[in-house]
Amino acid sequence: MANAKTLPTMAVAEEPVINYPSPLKEFWLGFSHNKGAVAGLAFICLIVICALFAPWLAPYSPIEQFRDHLLTPPSWAQGGSSAFLLGTDEVGRDILSRLIHGARLSLLIGLSSVVMSLVPGILMGLLAAFFPRWIGQGIMRLMDIMMALPSLLLAVAIMAILGPGLINAMIAIAVVSLPAYVRLTRASAMTELNKDYVTASRVAGAGLFRLMLITVLPNCMAPLIVHATMSFSSAILEIAALGFLGMGVQPPTPEWGTMLASARDYIESAWWVVTLPGLTILLSVLAINLMGDGLRDALDPKLKRAA
Amino acid sequence: MFSFLLRRIGVLIPTFLGITLLTFTLIRLIPGDPIEVMVGERSLSPTLHAAAMKRLGLDQPIATQYMNYLGQLLHGNLGTSLKTQENVWVEFKTLFPATLELALAALAFATIVGLLAGIIAAIKRGSIFDHGVMTISLTGFSMPIFWWGLILIMLFSVLLGWTPVSGRLDLAFDVQPQTGFMLIDAWRAELADPSLNAGAFKDAVKHLILPAIVLGTIPLAVIARMTRSSMLEVLREDYVRTARAKGLSPARVIFVHTLRNALIPVLTVIGLQVGTLMGGAVLTETIFSWPGIGKWLIDAIGRRDYPVVQNGILLVASLVILTNFIVDILYGIANPRIRHAK
Amino acid sequence: MTTTQTPLLNIKNLSVEFGSVGNPFRAVEGLDLTVQQGEIVGIVGESGSGKSVTMMAMMGLLEGQGRIVADDLTFDGKNLLTISGRDRRKIVGKDIAMIFQDPMTSLNPSYTVGYQIMEVLKVHQGLRGAALQARALELMELVEIPAAKTRLHAYPHQLSGGMSQRVMIAVALACNPKLLIADEPTTALDVTIQAQIMDLLVNLQKERNMALIMITHDLAVISEVAHRVAVMYAGQVVEIGKVPNLFRHPTHPYTEALLASIPEHSKGARRLSTLPGIVPGQYDRPKGCLLSPRCLYATEHCHQERPGMTQHDTGAVRCFYPLVDKEAV
Ligand SMILES: Nc1ncnc2c1ncn2[C@@H]1O[C@H](COP(=O)(O)OP(=O)(O)OP(=O)(O)O)[C@@H](O)[C@H]1O
Ligand code: SF4
Ligand SMILES: [Mg+2]
Repeated sequence: MANAKTLPTMAVAEEPVINYPSPLKEFWLGFSHNKGAVAGLAFICLIVICALFAPWLAPYSPIEQFRDHLLTPPSWAQGGSSAFLLGTDEVGRDILSRLIHGARLSLLIGLSSVVMSLVPGILMGLLAAFFPRWIGQGIMRLMDIMMALPSLLLAVAIMAILGPGLINAMIAIAVVSLPAYVRLTRASAMTELNKDYVTASRVAGAGLFRLMLITVLPNCMAPLIVHATMSFSSAILEIAALGFLGMGVQPPTPEWGTMLASARDYIESAWWVVTLPGLTILLSVLAINLMGDGLRDALDPKLKRAA
Repeated sequence: MFSFLLRRIGVLIPTFLGITLLTFTLIRLIPGDPIEVMVGERSLSPTLHAAAMKRLGLDQPIATQYMNYLGQLLHGNLGTSLKTQENVWVEFKTLFPATLELALAALAFATIVGLLAGIIAAIKRGSIFDHGVMTISLTGFSMPIFWWGLILIMLFSVLLGWTPVSGRLDLAFDVQPQTGFMLIDAWRAELADPSLNAGAFKDAVKHLILPAIVLGTIPLAVIARMTRSSMLEVLREDYVRTARAKGLSPARVIFVHTLRNALIPVLTVIGLQVGTLMGGAVLTETIFSWPGIGKWLIDAIGRRDYPVVQNGILLVASLVILTNFIVDILYGIANPRIRHAK
Repeated sequence: MTTTQTPLLNIKNLSVEFGSVGNPFRAVEGLDLTVQQGEIVGIVGESGSGKSVTMMAMMGLLEGQGRIVADDLTFDGKNLLTISGRDRRKIVGKDIAMIFQDPMTSLNPSYTVGYQIMEVLKVHQGLRGAALQARALELMELVEIPAAKTRLHAYPHQLSGGMSQRVMIAVALACNPKLLIADEPTTALDVTIQAQIMDLLVNLQKERNMALIMITHDLAVISEVAHRVAVMYAGQVVEIGKVPNLFRHPTHPYTEALLASIPEHSKGARRLSTLPGIVPGQYDRPKGCLLSPRCLYATEHCHQERPGMTQHDTGAVRCFYPLVDKEAV
């Protein structure tokens, strides 16, 4: 495939030698050009470190209740205690510890639901592109139906069937984000299928699986990677929303959204209980989206030139 | 145009059937015996159980059950709520205007602000304003809206006392639901009985503002970003260069030659926001105790009121499909190339 | 020579830069060009040589993209360098009009052809109502569009490329411009249509005695219709001259190579002797003469210094060693 692409230029003998940067370096140049994307990446690294080393970084256990310190304000606020940097919640748990441990859950659920929808999504999308008639039509109609339901509502409905819980939340979110992957894969695979290099490798006798996974798929990866980033961030939002509605991860597990479920009662009395978990969610999601924007600009040559 | 319509309708019907199949299976996927699921804790004698199965048609083959379900739907029978014993359609009908009012207000807010911000950002590309719009809209796009609602309540209701915390209208007013749209009903009530209901309209507006902003935040971000990128794309088109080469004023180039073509994809995106709005309504209505269908569905799920869950979801999905259908048609009208396609 | 007469368009030492101030890219450099009333001037050159950028700079279409510097940029007695945007828009589209390479994308897909013609008439001539309709129809007929009346209500996607280009010409001619710029008007069209459009343009030019700048890759056509031709290479005019002379006795090595690449002009063995290599881009511009890496006649001097323009009796050339016509010697 690579040979087929480079052949025509080799015929021009006097092509001036320009040192093109390696793809990885070029990608990094494009990516690091975008300051927001780099900031996003840095914040994500911070969250990942929190998640990996939560037991060592967090000052307390996320579920330990300090009965003498209910609703302690953050250390810098009036009445705060330096023992609880970000204060405590209504049953005296340290909010900072809960946030740090919460990073584990959010990343875990986000990552697994992305994988759980990415893999079947790509396979279904490729099938739909390679067999556009019956299988393709069937798959696409199914996806249309799933798209017709607002994703949060579909997730809520699935949770209603499966019941609340960590694994179920992952499944619900994976199901909800499936259609976008299928559509995206199908669309880019269809464009690739019309190109000469695919025909060439068909003529060369490549089998169906080779054609699908080795010839076509790598050329569809750029939009898929970008979309995976974006759907990772919406997965985090959706878990939090499910947690907030009381249908996601159940207390006392320190999940960011679940931490907000009872927060409405403290709007008037304890702003930190309301503010901090949500701010963490917002910043994480924003960071991922910033990175996704940078990824898209760096991976999509068409947009890159326009920028 | 006619064949275009026919083709769209041809896609609409199987999608709708698919949704009914989905809601039909949904209930059957719940682990456990459907009757037991419905009656909850109470235990039934086997004879009562069998009678209930027969009454609900659950003893028949699954295909027949589905056909029966479809038949009922065609007769407009959407079942009865287990809790209130009220017809699901009647409940939906009374609650829907509240959601519609909220969603329309949110969409109006999102569209007006989003379009303006997107257009100006595109025209002033690379300026501070442009960067500001892009940053704010990405933040809005990343917003956990249930938290955003809480923050706004904390700020405007608790701290500043400008807006009420929840509901659609202060209980002091005596407003009869006629249209179901609180703004209109309050307006009419105020006119009818100025002594009792003075200020009812203003109060209704105050109740609506925060939920509308919260629900409109994500659509606003999406619309602003889409408008900007679509404008930038069209501004690079050859025909915009032609327009400038004709010596047209910048305003004419933007509003006549750029905006119209740039708005076509934005229109689709606005249409797609209906889904986001319905999903967001679930959260927004929960935070603001807004008596609409979002809160209704969540409450129904919470107390396992399955007929409501099943057909409520069916209704919401149909709504989304229908709006997308209408957007498709509008898209065709706005774009001559599609309208004239054979 | 024609220098005694004030030219309609006078460009002196025009440069256009893109990119950041720290890292600029000169798309056009030190360009001189004059156009007399009623004259056809051809501009030829490889892709990327700056032909379109020159014209767009002159029309003010690069606003906010390119930085423009010139010693003089005068059209019809008006200084286009210092003119306000408002005043420029009174000239552009009215006295100077331009048609572009790809007619299919140059018309706005959302409006009817009639609307797009009438728009110029409304803006520049204030025509309204029946007079407007009549004039639009007249223009459609002028550019030989069959069934003009019904076509007024057609959308661009319903027209063929040739028809669209005719519409573009109608738009351009709507206000009787003094100068028409045709930027590769036939490149995107079928071969059979190309000749028709070219004939139409030349006939219209003769009829109205307007000046015409014809940008093209097609040397054969330009040698038939143009009075003078400018040859551009990498943002510079390398040779400019009157028509039969320039084609018969090219004095610049690049012109010679260009002519050699078209069959009618190459004789015998020289048929295939085109220049190797490509036009230098942003990063690989040589220090000396821009053509030096590809030039068959380049010397050490050429690699070190850039040549300026040298006048001779039928034109000017940018070369240290202009070719002398072998037959004349
Ligand atoms: N808006 C712009 N920004 C940056 N560079 C530009 C811009 N417009 C043109 N250029 C560059 O200026 C150079 C000259 O382009 P121009 O379009 O004038 O070439 P041309 O001679 O008209 O070629 P063609 O025959 O392909 O039309 C090219 O290298 C092009 O990349
Ligand atoms: S100056 Fe030298 S390199 Fe340049 S065109 Fe003339 S002979 Fe060739
Ligand atoms: Mg050009």
